[in-house]
Amino acid sequence: MPLALAVADLVKAFGERRALDGVSFQAQQGQLVGLLGPNGAGKTTLIRCLIGRCRPDAGSIELFGQPLPARGGRERLGFVPQDLGIYPDLSVRENLHAFGVFHGLRGALLRERIEWALEWTGLKDRVEALPKTFSGGMKRRVNIACGVLHEPAVLLLDEPTVGVDPQSRERIFAMIDTLRQAGTTILLTTHHLEEAETRCERVLIIDHGRVIAEGTVGELIRETVGSDRQATIRLARPLAPEVLKSVALGSNTPALARATLGQALNGSGPNGSVLNGDGNNGYGPTSSTSPQSELTMSRRDSGHDPLTLRTSVRSVALELPRLLEKISNAGGEVRDVEVTAPTLQAVFLHLTGRELRE
Amino acid sequence: MNLRLIIEVALVGLRRLWHGKLELLLTFVVPVAFFTIFAMIFTGGVGSGRTAKIKTVLTDLDRTPLSQDFVQRLTDSEAIGVVEDIRDDGINALDATRDAVVRGQATVAIVVPEGWGDSLRTAEPTKLFLLADSSDQIGPKVMKALVQETLGKALAGTPRADLPAPPAAPAKQANASVEVIDLFTGGKTNPAVSMYAAGIAVMFLLFSATGAAGSLLEEEENQTLERLLASRVGMTHVLLGKWLQLGLVGVCQVVVMFTWAQLAFGLDVARRWDGFLLLTLVTAGAAAALALALAAACRTRAQLNAVSVVLVLTMSALGGSMVPRYIMSDTMQQLGRATFNAWAIDGYTKLFWRDLPTAELWPEVAVMVGSAALLLIAARVLAMRWETA
Repeated sequence: MPLALAVADLVKAFGERRALDGVSFQAQQGQLVGLLGPNGAGKTTLIRCLIGRCRPDAGSIELFGQPLPARGGRERLGFVPQDLGIYPDLSVRENLHAFGVFHGLRGALLRERIEWALEWTGLKDRVEALPKTFSGGMKRRVNIACGVLHEPAVLLLDEPTVGVDPQSRERIFAMIDTLRQAGTTILLTTHHLEEAETRCERVLIIDHGRVIAEGTVGELIRETVGSDRQATIRLARPLAPEVLKSVALGSNTPALARATLGQALNGSGPNGSVLNGDGNNGYGPTSSTSPQSELTMSRRDSGHDPLTLRTSVRSVALELPRLLEKISNAGGEVRDVEVTAPTLQAVFLHLTGRELRE
Repeated sequence: MNLRLIIEVALVGLRRLWHGKLELLLTFVVPVAFFTIFAMIFTGGVGSGRTAKIKTVLTDLDRTPLSQDFVQRLTDSEAIGVVEDIRDDGINALDATRDAVVRGQATVAIVVPEGWGDSLRTAEPTKLFLLADSSDQIGPKVMKALVQETLGKALAGTPRADLPAPPAAPAKQANASVEVIDLFTGGKTNPAVSMYAAGIAVMFLLFSATGAAGSLLEEEENQTLERLLASRVGMTHVLLGKWLQLGLVGVCQVVVMFTWAQLAFGLDVARRWDGFLLLTLVTAGAAAALALALAAACRTRAQLNAVSVVLVLTMSALGGSMVPRYIMSDTMQQLGRATFNAWAIDGYTKLFWRDLPTAELWPEVAVMVGSAALLLIAARVLAMRWETA
């Protein structure tokens, strides 16, 4: 796959604040790359540098091997802003026509691309309607169409699904998929982490002006929170404290818990279930390196919920049945078991922290 | 009824007003500013009580001691501003005097005809001539009264400090009179029509242009501008495109206004279509450029609205869109020259009232074109903040 976009050591400072502090990444042709980061991380500045609206202090941007100048020379780049950067009081056709012309299309080609866009967005029957009368999803579709009329090789999509319903979101991603199939490289900025997780081939997490993680979702999970599953066990009734201890439970006695649980899960080996945290997301920075398991009472709101237990398991097939058996033997009655894989959300919070940014 | 809820609603409104500094400005400062402007228009300055002087050409063809005394008395009058630098390119004095009024250099001209002094002793004395521009609806009337009063004093031999005693009072002084000649009659409609058509058209041209220029700020706020600038469109394209749009709308607006003036009030616009079109084009272009410069200077639409309301109303008040400039003091009239309104009104008056050739519009056209160019440059410079950071 040829390299569509290559950013190297991009630096941009506004006064004392370095919005971009040496950002580097690459995207290959036809890839859908998710650009994630907390508010103020530098995503917008990066996008503005890419579209030529911000002049980097240092570093380089290459499009298909050709260096991009600070301004201009971006005919093969498409940009769809987060806000509805269209004319709400012009009809769909008039909007498409205007943006087609702005992107250099004329005559028959322009008419052809407008017809394509109407088909692509499913708005052929609303061609003379004004976007200001549209639902959020329809407006978003027009917004995206205006950015791809000129068939850009690289498309920068800034939060294309903000405020739209699931059906519209599906439609928008179906539209994006057709672009990818046609070979368009897409850089998708989003705060919908599940969206990035399921849709993007690669994910780029940026914070404090730096790329702090890059790779596939699987790679990021393995390299950060580990790939262990989280098991949540809901009991019919609370286990008595002494019984809880006997099945290696007890959040205030982790050593005992690990030892006892290690017995309970005898055979899982040194790489058995990973330790759990405070029951919040279940993933912690040391989890992948811990050789033992810990089962804790889950917290519900600010207090402990005696009916819910959580743990991390590396091998669901091997470890979970033994754990359930141990609980059963200790007199516990399991009402429900939920096993969840580590998510991009866990990776994101692990890497960027939980404190509010603004 | 829950009084507490009513009070809270009122308090919310007051707090919002307090937080909206521009709204506060519009509410409290602007009315005072406009009162001040109008007070200055009608008094000639804060507390001075001065009124506007009537621009007058005094032409003494008689050149007798009596006529010289009469002219000197008029010259000494505080109500008159004597215009002396009238065109003198070989034409005779009477034509030059008439020309000064027709061109608007003076509002009135007093002509003392040759033999006037001697004729006062006859049964049919020659009349003084008062050549008037009736677009000034006050000046000629005041001047006529003043001339008669001064004439009475001169004929009665009221001594003046700087002159020897006048000759003996003529026998027929009761017959001495003034004939008012309106130089602009002859099928013309009321002069106020062309003046107010121009004044109102320019005022609303400025309002609509500044309002429409706000789209620039809207597009900046909703990222449309960002998107445009990320395409092949540059800021210069955006500004010139907007200027063209605002200018064309402005031209249509003025054309509609004057078409109505022709249909409803008989203003003969069609006869002077070439000059009208030229003046309308440059006026609309200058107004559009001003609107863009304002929009580029403002941070938000609300800021633009506040600034443009203050500026347009001030320009309209000083420039003669609200009250005729001839009633203003000289200082205020000079201040008015800094507005498009004044230049446009003067230009349209030249066309439709004074009936001057289109070539005579060159000062107005030059000012408008120059202003438009400067304001467009200012807008372009200010808009650089929206370009590459």
